[in-house]
Amino acid sequence: MNSLIKLEITRALRNKKFLFFSVVYPSVLFLLIAGSSDSSTMVDGTGLNLAAFMMVSMASFGALTAVLMGNSERIAKERESGWVRQLRLTTLPGRGYVLAKTASAAVVSLPSIVVVFVVAAVTKGVRLDAWQWLALVVAIWAGSLCFAALGVAIGYLATGDAVRPITMIVYFGLSILGGLWFPSTGFPQWLSDIASWLPTHAYAALGQAIELGNAPHGKDVTLIVAYFLVFAGGAAWLYRKDTLKA
Amino acid sequence: MGSMTTTAQATEVVSFERVSKSYGDVRAVDGLTLDLHPGETVALLGPNGAGKSTTLDLLLGLRPADTGSVRVFGTSPRDAIVQGRVGAMLQSGGLMDEVTVAELVKLACALHPKPYKPGEVMSRAGIAQLADRKVNKLSGGQEQRVRFALATAGANDLIVLDEPTTGMDVSARQAFWATMREQADQGRTVLFATHYLEEADAIADRVLVLHRGRLLADGTAAEIKARAGARKVAFDLEGDIDEQALRALPFLTTLDVSGRTVRLQSSDADATVHALYGLGVYPRNLEVAGLGLEQAFVAITTAEEARTS
Repeated sequence: MNSLIKLEITRALRNKKFLFFSVVYPSVLFLLIAGSSDSSTMVDGTGLNLAAFMMVSMASFGALTAVLMGNSERIAKERESGWVRQLRLTTLPGRGYVLAKTASAAVVSLPSIVVVFVVAAVTKGVRLDAWQWLALVVAIWAGSLCFAALGVAIGYLATGDAVRPITMIVYFGLSILGGLWFPSTGFPQWLSDIASWLPTHAYAALGQAIELGNAPHGKDVTLIVAYFLVFAGGAAWLYRKDTLKA
Repeated sequence: MGSMTTTAQATEVVSFERVSKSYGDVRAVDGLTLDLHPGETVALLGPNGAGKSTTLDLLLGLRPADTGSVRVFGTSPRDAIVQGRVGAMLQSGGLMDEVTVAELVKLACALHPKPYKPGEVMSRAGIAQLADRKVNKLSGGQEQRVRFALATAGANDLIVLDEPTTGMDVSARQAFWATMREQADQGRTVLFATHYLEEADAIADRVLVLHRGRLLADGTAAEIKARAGARKVAFDLEGDIDEQALRALPFLTTLDVSGRTVRLQSSDADATVHALYGLGVYPRNLEVAGLGLEQAFVAITTAEEARTS
């Protein structure tokens, strides 16, 4: 299985478009949104200034891009092309394919997190304790597994033609409503009530709590874990269904 | 399951027992029973929709059978694959794109329990010169050879090929079958689905004719030809042609008179021609020839269709 993971990673790193959208694009968005703010521009109700807030949002967004896009589109396309069938004629265990995809997506998501951090620290002077930086990387990286599972589920649900629009709707919907692009504190009350239950909102909240020097809130951790279980369960069910159809 | 395995089954390479598979109302495979023996080169022959691909899917464990049992080397298809005993080349087997041919072959070797060296696999499949080519930049025939390389990445005992020469030109096809014969000569069992009937005729020791998910014929290519009326006889007659007398010839299966020319098929051409002279006629330009497998095949399936409808 390691050989497949290695090849998937090589392939992901070769795909310039994919690298741009997951590694460079979040940093560009960060600069566009937080670039002209000064350190006293606070985000209401968070205790964080705009730069610190958007740093976590964009790091989360980058990781989300890498794992969601990386999994869903490839899986749907490769199911259709028959590569998944071909792999089933090897010793690779059934889960191996999905694990290799997720592992390679995680390899790309790591730089997308780190690059946003570096850009934020250098251009906007975001300063945190060493443990906070480390905890942020771990939390955002680990939290992205939730969306990797969602990507797998979409990959097994959608056909090759439909997968891109479906992924895009889910991706932009979760990003914007979850407050990754701009703080959901600016939403009307009803919308921010909905947003607070979205996995992306809980995901960004993990990092924001760490930035304030706190442990992530229990509700957010519980939400992320619950979504992960739902997505992973759905992905497993769809995978099994797909296997019976060959 | 294990206690049900008899020793007779365990020695067979593949054993289907009353296997059925439906998609909705369509019975793709209908009570199929067959065994493949070690070292055979077997053609699975049938028109489109005969159930060839489904049969191979069942054999490879890609789909579960509705009823009946499928055993490969005395175990389940999946276990046989995990043991590295089965290599397969699917018609619908896509390839990973954005990687090179060499990377893909290396992956296949790494995943095989009894792998060959990637360089060896590529040169045997005739793709050594394509090693650095991206997989998505290959022609149809080249892709087929890459699939063949993936199917032969290790020391398999059974090689399964679904329409392997699709997209190949004549010379590539010949080269492919030469490679395949080497595999068979090493004692491997080879099963291939085809509707290139001349391939079945030229390559296979044994031909299985599949029609509407059922096994219609099982024998050597020669036997299958014999079953459909072995030989065709053609000649010209002068004067009046007594069709009644011709129709009464022994071993006759079909008769066609157009103008002076008589064409007939016979399951025993020697006896038919002997009787023809017995009629006191003098046939000119007499030709006796074997039926191609294609005609034999058409004859068998037409007879079957007439019987069932």
